[in-house]
Amino acid sequence: MLELESLHKKFAGKPALEGVSFRVEEGEIYGLLGHNGAGKSTTLGIILGMVAPDSGEARIGGVSVQQKRAQALRAVGSIFESPCFYEYLSGWENLRILSSYSGPFDKAAAEDAIERVGLTERIGSKVRTYSHGMRQRLALAQALLPMPRVLLLDEPTDGLDPEGIKWFRDFILGLRRERGMTVLFNSHLLAEVEQMCDRVAILKKGKRVYEGSVASLQSEEKIFELEVDPWPKAAKFLELQGCKILSDGRISMPPELDPAVMVAALVGLEVRVSSFAPVRHSLEDLYLEITR
Amino acid sequence: MMFLGQLRGELRKLFARPRTYMGYAAFFIMELLIVVVYRFTDGQRYMRQLMERNGLESDFYYSSLTLTFLVMIISMALLGSIFFALVAGDVVAKETEDGNLRLVLARPISRLRLLLVKYAAVSIYTFTFVFFVGISGYLMAGAAVGWDGGLFVSEPKMKVFAAYGDWTEGMLRLASGATGIGISMITLSSLAFMFSCFRIKPAAATIVTLAILFVDMILQNFPFFRPFQEYFITWRMSCWVYLFEYDVSWPKLIEAYAFLGGLNFTFFLIGYLAFQLRDFKT
Repeated sequence: MLELESLHKKFAGKPALEGVSFRVEEGEIYGLLGHNGAGKSTTLGIILGMVAPDSGEARIGGVSVQQKRAQALRAVGSIFESPCFYEYLSGWENLRILSSYSGPFDKAAAEDAIERVGLTERIGSKVRTYSHGMRQRLALAQALLPMPRVLLLDEPTDGLDPEGIKWFRDFILGLRRERGMTVLFNSHLLAEVEQMCDRVAILKKGKRVYEGSVASLQSEEKIFELEVDPWPKAAKFLELQGCKILSDGRISMPPELDPAVMVAALVGLEVRVSSFAPVRHSLEDLYLEITR
Repeated sequence: MMFLGQLRGELRKLFARPRTYMGYAAFFIMELLIVVVYRFTDGQRYMRQLMERNGLESDFYYSSLTLTFLVMIISMALLGSIFFALVAGDVVAKETEDGNLRLVLARPISRLRLLLVKYAAVSIYTFTFVFFVGISGYLMAGAAVGWDGGLFVSEPKMKVFAAYGDWTEGMLRLASGATGIGISMITLSSLAFMFSCFRIKPAAATIVTLAILFVDMILQNFPFFRPFQEYFITWRMSCWVYLFEYDVSWPKLIEAYAFLGGLNFTFFLIGYLAFQLRDFKT
């Protein structure tokens, strides 16, 4: 549904993107991670045709954004961090104006989108009176007009309270469930990405340094926490077996070793084993490890 | 049809801005001041003397129509240029600065079309604003000096002197004059619009536009440049005064508007190219 092919971009001679490629399948939620300046916003800008790549191409539904931007973006909705609406106009007028750039205004569709995001009561109020959460809801409503097949989310939950974040997450997951919507999700909130995304790409200094499913990232983990007595005796044995001692009570085990066999062996050596538990690394740990 | 829907949105934005109302209020106050000056102070003495020197009855020609002409010419010269430069200088640059443009550019609309919609909105706004000044000026002048009387026009720079005793004829000339000012002012808006498309602050677009126009206005009066006066923008912009001639100089008028039309097109094209080449990061 969304393909990026070898994107290169320089700003004032400095590379912002160096050969970034990835592909988001239909109905997939894809997370884009990276530090500030890693190239996430440039990538999103290229997908939306706001930034012209030096080379490479972005395609949406097989249509090149660089060659047929209007056609490619017809099925795309997007939300930015801190969306800037026309403050002096009402939410309704903002929706009307913004959706007019995509095609004729569909009143019924607009009312439906407003109801979905729960803004019906305040849609006639001036945007300057909206809270941050309400603005994000309005941003979501405008992204749904007309109903897109691809949703691009750039830090959409920044500044939202936990309740707002959960509502937003459930809403996006609901859209995917109901309409099979494809979502590209760019966020600093790694826990959000972890809970929402099927796959992630990590950008570092304009290069893609990782791509894979969130589940596979976690299954690659072989870190264990132990409560054993005596620790020095257990550590010496485990080291001999090929384990790496990370700290007292924390080891990294090669994939070929079976934890159950290790526990039995330790018990056989008269080491008291109170606990031998795998550590599930969060995406945050992995992200920091990759981008360090 | 879609273009009209988009144009409606642009006009809604322009007319809903607090700045717009402030502009209307500022013009209203200025018109009031001009009328007060010409009605209650010695300001009218010069005009009356000028009329009488030309064999015209000043009580008849010092009328609402003549005052409206004065209101339009003075308020447009003093405040019109600043206001139109401000509005047109904002139209793209302010949306870029405020971040509104990101939401718009994320939509499937080409940059050319977006600029055409904005340019059309600015042109309509400029044009209608001139009529607002004309109509409100006439109402104030009528309230101050009465509704009857003829129209006396004196514009030494463009060498136009005329007097219309018939109210209907005078009013028609005023209406056509307002149309002419509206068209001329679009050039000023076009210049500000062009700068607005550049990567600059909205205030910078306004200031640069005004600076160019003021330099243009000053230079054309230098003896060295007198033979080339007709190549100056502001001189061409003053061509609307020809509409008050007894026999309108259509060739001169058409030539001037063709010149201004060419400038408008060039300004738009340069603005478009600058806008098209820009990257808008999210």
